[in-house]
Amino acid sequence: MGDKTDIWQGTLALMILKTLEAMGPLHGYGIARRIEQTSGDRLAINYGTVYPALLKLEQEGYIASEWGVSDNNRKAKYYRLTRAGRNQVKKEAQQWEETSAIMARFLNPGEQTS
Amino acid sequence: MGGDERDHGAVLEPRGADVMRRLRAFFVRLWVWRGRAARERELAAEFESHLQLHIEDNLRAGMSAEEARRNAMVKFGGMESAKESMRDRWSLVWLETAWQDVRYAARGLRRSPAFAVTAIISLALGLGASLAIFTVADSLLLRPLPYRSAAQLVVIWEASRTQGSGPNVVSPGNYFDWKAQSGVFAAMAGWRERRSVLIDGERSEEFGKDYVTADFFPLLGVQPVRGRLFTAKEDLEANSSETLLLISYRLWQSRFGGAEEVIGRKVRIDGAPHTIIGVMPRDFYFRARDVDLWEPLGLDPAYDYRKKEGRWMYCLARMKPGVTYAAAQARMTALAARLETAYPAFNKNWTANVEPLRDSMLGQAKPALLVLVGAVVMLLAVACANVANLLLARCSARRREMAVRASLGAGRARVVRQLLTESVLLALAGGVAGVALARWAVKVLVAMAPADLAKSAEVHFDLRILLFAIGISIATGVLFGLAPALVSSRADLMGALREDSRSVTGGSRLRALLVAGEVAVSVVLLAGALLLFRSLLDLEGVNPGLDPTNVLTFRVSLPGARYDKVFERAQFLRRATEQMERLPGVISATTDSSLPFTEPFAGTWVNFEGRPAPKPGEENLALIRSVLPGYFRTLRIPIKQGREFVASDDSEQTPHRFVVNEAFVRQYMPREQPLGKRIRVLMERENPFGEIVGVVGDVRDWSIDREPMATVYYVYSHLSYTSATFMVRTERNPLSQADAARHIVRGIDPMQPIADVRTLDDVLDENSSGQRFSAVLLGGFSISALLLAAVGIYGVLAYSVAQRTREIGVRVALGAEPGRIVSLIVGTGAKLVMGGAAVGIGGALALTGLLKSLLYGIGPRDPWTFTLAPLILLSVALAAAYIPARRAARLDPMDALRAE
Repeated sequence: MGDKTDIWQGTLALMILKTLEAMGPLHGYGIARRIEQTSGDRLAINYGTVYPALLKLEQEGYIASEWGVSDNNRKAKYYRLTRAGRNQVKKEAQQWEETSAIMARFLNPGEQTS
Repeated sequence: MGGDERDHGAVLEPRGADVMRRLRAFFVRLWVWRGRAARERELAAEFESHLQLHIEDNLRAGMSAEEARRNAMVKFGGMESAKESMRDRWSLVWLETAWQDVRYAARGLRRSPAFAVTAIISLALGLGASLAIFTVADSLLLRPLPYRSAAQLVVIWEASRTQGSGPNVVSPGNYFDWKAQSGVFAAMAGWRERRSVLIDGERSEEFGKDYVTADFFPLLGVQPVRGRLFTAKEDLEANSSETLLLISYRLWQSRFGGAEEVIGRKVRIDGAPHTIIGVMPRDFYFRARDVDLWEPLGLDPAYDYRKKEGRWMYCLARMKPGVTYAAAQARMTALAARLETAYPAFNKNWTANVEPLRDSMLGQAKPALLVLVGAVVMLLAVACANVANLLLARCSARRREMAVRASLGAGRARVVRQLLTESVLLALAGGVAGVALARWAVKVLVAMAPADLAKSAEVHFDLRILLFAIGISIATGVLFGLAPALVSSRADLMGALREDSRSVTGGSRLRALLVAGEVAVSVVLLAGALLLFRSLLDLEGVNPGLDPTNVLTFRVSLPGARYDKVFERAQFLRRATEQMERLPGVISATTDSSLPFTEPFAGTWVNFEGRPAPKPGEENLALIRSVLPGYFRTLRIPIKQGREFVASDDSEQTPHRFVVNEAFVRQYMPREQPLGKRIRVLMERENPFGEIVGVVGDVRDWSIDREPMATVYYVYSHLSYTSATFMVRTERNPLSQADAARHIVRGIDPMQPIADVRTLDDVLDENSSGQRFSAVLLGGFSISALLLAAVGIYGVLAYSVAQRTREIGVRVALGAEPGRIVSLIVGTGAKLVMGGAAVGIGGALALTGLLKSLLYGIGPRDPWTFTLAPLILLSVALAAAYIPARRAARLDPMDALRAE
C-alpha cells in the first residue's frame, strides 16, 4: 500500500465514532473522506472498508442510520452517534490514550519521571 | 461462531459489557438474517450513492467524467470483498456456510451412492445394535430401582458349605439374630413369594403375592398412594385376625376401576377373608413385576423356628450409610460363624452371603448382558473403523478436488470442516437408520429375552435413548471423520495438482491398520459367538430325562381355606385328571408339586433305616417332588427298577412309599439294592420311614444345564401342596386342550381358575433361552462385524489396485500370468488379515473367559472354536480380496499403461 501507513483495523472503529462525534450525522463517503483528511493524508484507506466497520458499530448499537438527502440533493445513508455511542467514544478514547501513553514510555524511556 | 473471527475493533473492546454487546449483535444479526434480498438491494444503493458522491467531488476537482469514475472505484477498493465482509457480519456466517457445506456434502454423497450406502449401512448396523442393547441394559442395569437409596439395598442368603447349591433361603430364627446383632444394617425385613387366587364377588383369578414383614416397605422407602401400610403389631397378629392386604396400582385400576372405596373392601384370597388397606404406587415393583398382592408375613420372634421349621424366607436389608458390600459381607460371615457355633444342630456348615438387590433381580442375565454390551461396543468400533476407512479412501480419491479448493483460497480449517460435515451427515443418516433398526430390534430382544430378564424389565425406547443416539452419531462422525479429514487436508498441494496418482498419502497405512483392527475384533466376536452356539447346540442335544413333546401344563392353586383336608385336595386332583384322560386326544394326565425346569422347589434331608443319623453338616440332601400315580408313565420317565406309584399308594391310610431316581441311588446307596430299603424324608412334622418301591431315570429338572440331583418322589396323599401343576399328554397340539382343561376344573369348582398354561416344550425352551439369547445376538454381531471387515478389506484392495493400475499393466505387459497378479493382490490382503487375525485370536483367548458362566459342555478355549473362527474369517476375507484381484488380473495392459 505505497508508503502511506496501513490503517490498523482496530482503530478504525474509534476513528469513525470520533468523526461522528465531531461532525454530527454523516454518510459513509463523508466519514471515509474525513478520516483521510484528519490524518493529513497519512492514512491510506480503501473507502469500502468503512462500511463493514459501520455495520458492526450499528449492530452493537453505538450508531444508528437512516436515509437522507445530501447538500447537493443526492440520496445517502446517514450515520449518527447514539447515546451508547457517545459513552463508548469517551471510554475508548480514554483507553486509547492510556495505551498510547504506556507505549510512549516504552518508546521514549528517557522521559520516565516516576 | 465463525463470523466473530472477522470482528473489527475487537482490540478496543472493554472486557465487562462485552458479553451483552455481543449477544445483542448476535440477535440483531439473527433478526436481519431474514430479509436477505432487501438487504442486498440496500447495500447496493448505499455503495452506489457513495460512488456518486465521490464522482461529483472528483468532477468538481476538475477530473474528466471517466477519470472521476475510475478514481472513485479505485479509492473504494474491492467492492465485492467489502460486500462479502458485510454479508459475513449480517448473517450468521457459520450457519450459512454450514448449510452450504451440508448441501455440498449431500450432493457429493448423491454422486457416489455406493460409498454413501455402504457407510450408512455400516453405521446403521453398529448404531442400531448398540442402541438396542443399550436400551435393554439401561432398563436393567442403569435405571434406578424405584426405592429410596437403592444402592444400599442387599439381599442376604444363607449358603451351605457342603451342598454348594448356591444362594439358599433363610431361617426366620437366623433372620431374627441377624437383625438384632449385625450392626451394619440400618434395617432388615423379610418376605416370601407365592401365588394366590383372589376372589372378589363372582370373579376369581390367580395373582403373584408376597408375604412381607411390617418393616419391608419402610425399608424400601415406599409409601402407598392410597390407604396405609400395616403396622408391626398387625404383622404379628396376622395369623390370628382377619388378614390385611395391599394391592398394586395395576390391580386397583384393572379390577377395582381405580375407585377410592377400594380401601376397606373385603375380598377372599385362597378362600380366606382379607381387607384391602392400601394401594401401592404405580411404578412400584419388587423383584418381579407380576406381583399384585402383599400381606403380612406374621413372623413371631418368640417362636423357636430353628427347632421347628427349616429355611424358607427371603431376607432384605438396607446397609447403613458408608457401609460397603465388603464390610457387610465380612460382618455377616462373622455373625453366621457365631450362629454356627451357637446352634450347631441347625447351622453346622451354613454361612451367610450378601448380594446387591439389583444383582439378585438379574440372576444369570447380568453376565449375559455385560457380554452383549461389550460385544456391541466392539461391533460399533468395527462399524466406525469401516466408515473411517471409506472416508479415507474417498479423501484420497478427492485429493485433487481438495487441492483445487485449497489453491482457490479455501483455508485448511474450511476444508477440514467441509469433510467433517460430510462425515457427520453420514453419521446422522446412519444414526436415523440405526434408531429405526434399534426400535425394531428392541422388540425382538424383549420377545426373545429369558424370563429372568423380562420379568423385572420394562424396556422402553425413550427420549434419553434418542438423545444418546444423536450424540453417539455425531461423536462417531466427528471422531472418525477427523482423521481422514486431517490426513487429506495435509496432502501436499503441488503433488496433488500434478495429478500424481502414484504418490502415496499417509492414508494408506492408516487404512491398513484400520482393516487389520476390524479383522481382529471380528475374530474375537466370531470366537465368542461360536462358543455360545456350540454350547447352545450341546444344550439342546441334552436328554432332559423325560419326553416334553405334546405335554400341556398349567397350574391350579387350591385355596387352603376351602380345601383344608388332604383328601379333599387329592380328590380334586384325581377327579380332574380322570376327566381329562377321558377327553378325546388326551393320552394321560397327572400332577406335580412344581413345574420342572423352572421353579425353585423343595429339598430336604433323608435318613436311611439302619444307618446312624448323619452328623450336622453332613446330611443327605435330596430334592422332593410330590406326584399323582401315572406321573412317570405320562412324562415317559423310564422305570429302571421296581414299579411306579399306583392308585392304591395314593391314600393317607397306606404306609409311605417312595420312588427315587438313579442319581439318588448313585449318591447315597451305591452298593445296595435300593428296592425294599426304607428311608425317612425330613419334610414335615411327622416323617415315618417308607419303603423304596421304584427307581426311575434321572430328569434334569433343576435346570437343563445342571447334572441331575438326587430326588425323592412322594405320592400326593403323603405330601400334599395346595398348588399343583397339571401335566397332560396329548396326541397332538397340546394347547388345543387348554379350554377343555379349564372347563373341567371349573366344572369341579366354579371359583377355581387355572394359570400359566404352557406346553412343556416351551418350558424347556425357556430353560435354554438365556443361552439362545446370547448366542443369537452374538452370532448376529459377529456376522455383521465379519461383513463389515470384508467390506473394509475389499475397499483397501480395490483402492490399491486402482493406485497400482500402471504397475500392474507393466507386469502384465512383461508377461506376468493372471494367476501371479491375483496372488500379488490377494497376498497384500492376506498380510492384513493374518496380522489382524493373530491379534484377534490373542484377544479372544483373553476375553472368552468372561463367557464362562454362559457356556455349557465346553471350555472358553475350545480348540474347535479357535480353529474354526479364523478359518471362517480367512475364507470371507479371501473372497473379499479376490474380487479386486481378479479385476487386476484382467487388466488390458495397453489400457492400464495409458491410464492417467
